Amino acid sequence: MRNVTIKGLLAHKLRLALTALAIVLGVTFISGTFVLTDTLNNTFTVLFGNIYQKIDFQVRGVAQLGSGANATRNELPESLLATVRRVPGVQAAQGEVGGYAQFVTQDGKAIQTGGAPTLGVSFDPDQQISDLHIIAGGPPVTSDGVVMDAGTAQKYDFTVGQRVRILFAGPPRTFTITGIAQFGSANNLAGATLAAFTLPTAQAVLQEVGHLDNINVVAAPGASKPAVQRDIARALPPGVEVVTGQTVVNEQTSSVSQALSFFSTALLVFAFISLFVGGFTIFNTFSIIVGQRTRELALLRIVGASRRQVFRSVLAEAAIVGLVSSAIGLGLGVLAALGLEALLRGFGITLPTGSLVFEPRTVLVGLAVGVGVTVVAAVGPARNAVRIPPVAALDDRQSGGDASSRRRFAWGTALALGGAVMLAIGLAKPAILLVGVGAVGIFVGVAMLAPAVARPLSSVIGRPLARVLGEPGKLGRENSMRSPRRTAQTASALMVGLALVAAMSVFGASVSRSATSSVDQAISADLIVSTASGSGQLSQSVPATASAVPGVTTTTTVYRSQFEVQNSLATLTAVSTQHLADTLILRMTAGSPAALAQGELLIDSTTAKSKHLSVGDTVPVKFAETGSSALRVGGIYEANALIGSYLVGAPFFLSHFSNPSLGALLLRTNGSGAVDTAVTHALAPYPNLQVQTRAQFEQAQTANVNQILGLVYALLALAVLIALIGIVNTLMLSVFERTREIGLLRAVGMKRRQVRTMIRSEAVILAIFGAIIGIIIGTGMGIALVSSLKQQGITDTVVPASSLVIFLVLAGLLGLVAASWPARRAARLDVLAAIAAELRTCQAGLGASPRLARWPRGRCRLA
Amino acid sequence: MHCMAGLDRPTSGQTFVGEEDIGSLDDAGLTQLRRDRIGFVFQSFNLIPTLTAAENITLPAALAGARVNREWLDYLVEQLGIGDRLTHRPSELSGGQQQRVACARALINKPDLVFADEPTGNLDSNASADLLAFLRQSVTELGQSIVMVTHDPRGAAYADRVIFLADGTVVGELEQPTADSVLEKMRTLGA
Repeated sequence: MRNVTIKGLLAHKLRLALTALAIVLGVTFISGTFVLTDTLNNTFTVLFGNIYQKIDFQVRGVAQLGSGANATRNELPESLLATVRRVPGVQAAQGEVGGYAQFVTQDGKAIQTGGAPTLGVSFDPDQQISDLHIIAGGPPVTSDGVVMDAGTAQKYDFTVGQRVRILFAGPPRTFTITGIAQFGSANNLAGATLAAFTLPTAQAVLQEVGHLDNINVVAAPGASKPAVQRDIARALPPGVEVVTGQTVVNEQTSSVSQALSFFSTALLVFAFISLFVGGFTIFNTFSIIVGQRTRELALLRIVGASRRQVFRSVLAEAAIVGLVSSAIGLGLGVLAALGLEALLRGFGITLPTGSLVFEPRTVLVGLAVGVGVTVVAAVGPARNAVRIPPVAALDDRQSGGDASSRRRFAWGTALALGGAVMLAIGLAKPAILLVGVGAVGIFVGVAMLAPAVARPLSSVIGRPLARVLGEPGKLGRENSMRSPRRTAQTASALMVGLALVAAMSVFGASVSRSATSSVDQAISADLIVSTASGSGQLSQSVPATASAVPGVTTTTTVYRSQFEVQNSLATLTAVSTQHLADTLILRMTAGSPAALAQGELLIDSTTAKSKHLSVGDTVPVKFAETGSSALRVGGIYEANALIGSYLVGAPFFLSHFSNPSLGALLLRTNGSGAVDTAVTHALAPYPNLQVQTRAQFEQAQTANVNQILGLVYALLALAVLIALIGIVNTLMLSVFERTREIGLLRAVGMKRRQVRTMIRSEAVILAIFGAIIGIIIGTGMGIALVSSLKQQGITDTVVPASSLVIFLVLAGLLGLVAASWPARRAARLDVLAAIAAELRTCQAGLGASPRLARWPRGRCRLA
Repeated sequence: MHCMAGLDRPTSGQTFVGEEDIGSLDDAGLTQLRRDRIGFVFQSFNLIPTLTAAENITLPAALAGARVNREWLDYLVEQLGIGDRLTHRPSELSGGQQQRVACARALINKPDLVFADEPTGNLDSNASADLLAFLRQSVTELGQSIVMVTHDPRGAAYADRVIFLADGTVVGELEQPTADSVLEKMRTLGA
């Protein structure tokens, strides 16, 4: 007897632990995201503060396009430096230039930073102003010298005195390392590489001869800073401004935190998905608990517990589970953030401040969301608990009747349809929040409807299992059909997970196909030259080098830059116009590509439609260097993601940008494979470039999509894991609920192996049931998502049937995995103990139900 | 009996406890009625398995948020002879002990009426006799009203008045019964 009791208690702990795990994982995700992004934010704030701490003012060009740290500003004439130095109260002023400079490793590879900038700057010898200080060697004194950041030097084994090749927007050059430098105490600027030259060298290699980007100013001690700033401002020509160092820090910091907020929002979305799935698991667990405690709750009602007390007792239990697991999740979140930080360090991003930032907001949101989800998920079961009539303690009739099922279906239908409408509107707008709410509506609605199909669908899914596995398979199938509501509830969590996976897979396949077809539809070139990582720059000497290769017949240069059109910032693409048709396909819907040569603007059909533009219209534009003007629309081409929305000819572009950045190079060859090799060889001095055939380029595009898709799958895996925990939980509860039944089966001769098979069959049916519904919904959502992005260049809709089938099979296998523990447990049940449990309840006069032998513990203290 | 005890509602007719028509009470009213004015003893004891004996006894008072009458509790515990079992859980008690705890629970709020539904059905004859003696004593000494449902003529003999039911209708009545007279009456009714 004691044994049975102890087993019951253990089972209870387990059940709560499994329920809590769903919340723990979700809250871990949330708090980890917060801690990580807060820490990064703080790091950058400290970093920028350090860099600019000695600077009182910065003189710079007025923002021409955009604002703050990301603004496009014009360069300053070098002569302005002397003017600023003459202003009374200015103790020191130093000009600086910055731009693109990428180191090449000793074995000839371009050093990649994984997204961080590769900076070339002028070295400021005046330690009064710069926070960059040399820790080995000395400053660059000749045009041949360069100072390298300590991070790069350590990672790639560079020492003072060695030669290093550096890539620029102009031709590459080789330098001697004169020194290794640090920022304050950090080895690098959050992963960026840094090459510092003498000012004249920097001006030459960064193509700013005679110009400066900024002038940094230190005020004399004791001088009134506002007065100094005013005096500097008076001395400046129009188009130049002076701001405080603090302003610069604030701009930089807010630009970084903006970038980080995208990152944290994306992570939080996945965290909330996990918690949403966790909510289903909790709902299910509490439903089962309440079902099992029917008699106990009814008894409480008999001895005088009010409905409110019963309701509160269930919710209080949920709140405690939520609170404890959220607290654990918060703690684990810190560990997760530590892990992520270590990961970043592995990528070479050293953070100057080692301490993690744990904001009160992290705790508040983590607890609120964790407890909130648990309690909200438990409201339904708690309401069912309230409906248990007191007499339920005395007779064996099943509570929670299906009286409400019609109403539930009505609600389910309304929710699902309402959700679908919201999703559609949200996608069309686009409004992300509406999409989210709509998706939640669909999932909850479908989960409410699912019991209606649970019985027939499990019957169909189970039929082959029953045939192959014989009697145990048949019993498993019947168990899954026995309680359609429980089957549906358990499968719902998996449904959500797989719906999202399926939607992403439809989305990914469509993006891949669209990318491929947009390459086919836009590019007729044989070779495409671009930067390997998408970052970095193509040197201006590359077009000449490439077109000089024998066999290259046409070279089209592609430029990209920012401009303002109709008062909003946009990307302008430019192409050289000679023999354009050899390399680029423009499917014109109006006008002609010839307009490019005449300095007119081509726009894509989507933009034309949304802005109501047609050939012959003029649009107001603004360039950073040359100011405002108007452009005539010379033609409209079919939208293509690779070309972009606005296209002009290269001569026009070059007349508005003095430092144009090269985007790519399109080459037409005589078709011989030898030419490909020759081009690759000729471009060997530029290791940051890749030369690809059209097929390779297409493949690379697809690979990019798949990489991102892989990341998304990995993040969704957590949601699927939580759904699996839900299945384990339900099966465990079912096994305990059926202790007597399993005991009887064993008594009449069922083998342990057959018991395991029975439980496993049930799990596989559950999982496949959830997967089928999920994949159907997800495919629908994916198609909706893709069709809403048609204008963004996702023109093809692909339903990757093979992937979806693989997901279905995987779901079945995961079900098998989820069943392994409950199945072992069921098989291990001692026949005698199982029947003894029954005997005991009979002796105690509790009727035929074995439930009360395993009454859960510790939940009766109502008062 | 479920209707009389406020557990269920009559589909037709009326049920009264004292002057109060309890068929017309709402759920909150019925809850309060059960908590304050009615006590229950079941065949299957129906103790909460996770609470100790003492906690089971004071549960109705705790639910009502009322202070437990210490003297009354001590008196009940002493009369029922369960003083040394108070910290035990139901699974650690014998059937007779469990039922005595249930009796204490039924009486703790000094209800107007106690319903006992086959209270001796799961007990051996010694434990039955003890329990019935206690119930009798609480009627005689404390003036407690008890309605007991039983199949056992010897149990029925402890009552002041016996009402015979067959298939849901009243078929007979006896005042000041003995085991023999009850048995005799049952025989004549059965015939």
